[in-house]
Amino acid sequence: MKRLATLFVTVLFLGVLAGCGAVPKEGPESGVGAAGSGGVGADGSGVGRPGGYGSNLDDPNGMGGGRGDMGRIVHFDFNSAMLSAEAEQVLAYNAKMLSKSSGPIQIEGHCDERGTREYNLALGQQRADAAARFLVSQGIQANRIRTVSYGKERPVIKGHDETSWRQNRRAELVSR
Amino acid sequence: MGKRCRQGDPLLNTGVVHSSVWARIKARAVPYFVTAPSKLVAMVPVCVLAVVLFMQGGLAHGALRIDITKGGLQPLPIALSDFVDLSPGGAVLGQNVSGHKLMEVVTADLERSGLFKPLDPKTFIQTPAELWQQGPNFRDWRLIGAEAVVSGAVHEKDGKLVADFFLHDVFQGTLVGKGKRFTAPVRDWRHVAHRIADEIYTRLTGESGYFTSRITFVASKGDMKWLSLMDQDGANRVDLTHDRSLVLTPRFAPTGEQLFYLSYEIGQPRIFRWDLYTGKKAIQGDYPGLNSTPAWSPDGQYMALTLSKDGNPEIYLRNLRSGELRRLTENNAIDTSPSFSPDGSQIVFNSDRAGSPQIYVMDANGGNARRLTFEGSYNAAPSWSPRGDYIAYVSGGGGRFRISVIDPKGQNGRALTDSWMDESPTWSPNGRVILFSRQSGSQSRLYTIDFTGHNERLVNLEDSINGSDPSWSPLVH
Repeated sequence: MKRLATLFVTVLFLGVLAGCGAVPKEGPESGVGAAGSGGVGADGSGVGRPGGYGSNLDDPNGMGGGRGDMGRIVHFDFNSAMLSAEAEQVLAYNAKMLSKSSGPIQIEGHCDERGTREYNLALGQQRADAAARFLVSQGIQANRIRTVSYGKERPVIKGHDETSWRQNRRAELVSR
Repeated sequence: MGKRCRQGDPLLNTGVVHSSVWARIKARAVPYFVTAPSKLVAMVPVCVLAVVLFMQGGLAHGALRIDITKGGLQPLPIALSDFVDLSPGGAVLGQNVSGHKLMEVVTADLERSGLFKPLDPKTFIQTPAELWQQGPNFRDWRLIGAEAVVSGAVHEKDGKLVADFFLHDVFQGTLVGKGKRFTAPVRDWRHVAHRIADEIYTRLTGESGYFTSRITFVASKGDMKWLSLMDQDGANRVDLTHDRSLVLTPRFAPTGEQLFYLSYEIGQPRIFRWDLYTGKKAIQGDYPGLNSTPAWSPDGQYMALTLSKDGNPEIYLRNLRSGELRRLTENNAIDTSPSFSPDGSQIVFNSDRAGSPQIYVMDANGGNARRLTFEGSYNAAPSWSPRGDYIAYVSGGGGRFRISVIDPKGQNGRALTDSWMDESPTWSPNGRVILFSRQSGSQSRLYTIDFTGHNERLVNLEDSINGSDPSWSPLVH
C-alpha cells in the first residue's frame, strides 16, 4: 500500500510539473470519484489535482483520494506551525522535484475551523511560511515562492471532528 | 422599583400641575417642537414653566431613569402608543397607518435592548387620538403599569415624513425632556423611528442610544461570501460586493462612511478601503505575504494592520495619507487583531509570544506592551469598547469559544456567552451591546448580547443567509 501511494504521489507530481496543476479547484461533480481518483492519476492522463473540496472526501472510503494529496500537502498540530519529521520528508521530496523546474510556486496555509478568523489567518501564514522556508533550505529560490494564508476559510473536509480538523490543518503546494 | 433609581415620591402632586400645563399646551394646539422656531416663540412662557416644573418635580425628586450600571436589569414598562396620522392641515386622521408602522419599529428597538418592556397596546385605555389631543390621562397609564408613555403624531409634507413626539413620566405626571420633531424623506421612515427610539433610550438611561446605526458583515451561502450592509435591526440589507472573491473582516471607519475589508480578489489577502456613499474602492498597500486585520484609529488618520512581510505576522501602523508604515511589534510569535482605545493612545491586540494566544495592550507607538489575560489557553480577537471601559474578546476553553469581556487593567474578566464557536465581537456605538457571530455546524448567525451578559438575541437575517465578521457602525445621523 505504501509503495502504491508513493507511486501515485510520483505520478501525480509529474502531472503537476507538466503544468496541469492549473486545473481549477473543482466542485463536487468532478471530485465525486475521489476514491478512485488514484486511477485517474495512475494512468498518466495528467490530471493534476484529484478530488477537490468537500463532499467527496466526507466519505470515509474516500480517504484513498486524500492520501494521494500527501505529495503536496503537509499537516500540522493544533495551533502549531512546526513542521513534523514527516512533513519535512514530504517537503524535501517536493523540493527535489521542484528544483528540476523554475516555475513559480504558491504555498497556501490553512487551519481548522476552531479559533478566531483573524488568528487563523496569521497561523495559516506561519504554516505557509514554515513550508516555504524549508523549501528554500533545500535550495529552492525564495523568489519563486508566494505564500497565501486562507486561515480557516478553505477546509478540505467540512466535518466538525478531529479527523476532519487534522486534514484541514495544512500547508499545500500549488502551481500558479 | 427593582434596579431603577427613583428617589422621589411617585404620588407627588406635581402630576396635577403638569396635567394642567399639558391642557394649556393642547388648548393652543401648538406643541413646543424644538425644531419649529416660529412656533417656539409663542410657546416660550409655557416652555419656561415646563422646564421650571421639570426641574422641581423631575430632577429634585428623582427623575424617571433606568440605572443601567448594574447587572440583572429589570426592564422599564413603557407604553408606546401608535403615533396618530395627521392630515397636512393637522387634523387627526382615522387610521394610523404610518404612525403604526413607525411605532412598530420603535417598539422592536426598545424591546430588543432588554432595558424596556413595551406594554401590549391592547391594554391601553386611552386611544392614540385621545392621548395626542388631550394629553396623557396619567391615572389610566398608571393603572396598566406603565412608568413611561410616549405620544406622537406623524404627517407628510413635501415628500418628507414629519414626526413629533413626547415622552412622559407616568408617576410624576411630567414630560421627560421637551417634545421633539424629526423630519426625513419618506423613504427613510425607519430612520425616523430609530431616531425616536434613540431619543427615548437616551432620556431614560442617560446614555446615547444605538438604534440609528448599521452593521456590515460577511454574508455567505454555500461557498460564496460577500460583503453586506444593513441597519442594526436587520432591515434595509444591501450587498456590497458581487464578484466571487473571498472577502473577510469588514471594519467601519469612525465616521461610519467608509470600510476597510480583506479581499482575495488579486489572489492574495489584501486590504481595501470602500466608500459607502461613492462606491469607490482602493487597495491599501500590497505587501508580500499576509495583509490582514485592518483597524481604524479613532481619528481616522491611521490603520493598524497585520503584515507578515518581515518573517512572521506583526502589527504595523500605516499612515493613511502618506502610506508610510511603522512597525509596532517585534518578536518571533504571531501578533495580530489590533484594536484602538477610544482615545487612540493604546492598542489592544492578540499575541502568542508567551506560547498561547493571549490579549495584550501596548501604547499606540508600540511601546510598553503588557499582558491582560492569564486565564485559559486561547484568548483572541480583542475589541475595545467605544466607551473605553471594557475590551470584548474570544476566550477558548473546553472545546468552546465564548465572547468575554475584561477591563483595560486586566480585571473583572467574565465570559458572557457559552457556545461552541462564538467570535468577532464588535460594540454598539454606545459601548453597551456586543454583536458577534456564532457558528453551529456549518451555519453562522449574528447575535447581540448586553455587556452584562444578559439579553442574548439573534439578529434577523434572511433564513438561508449566513452572517459572520460583523462590524458595528457609529451612529448614522
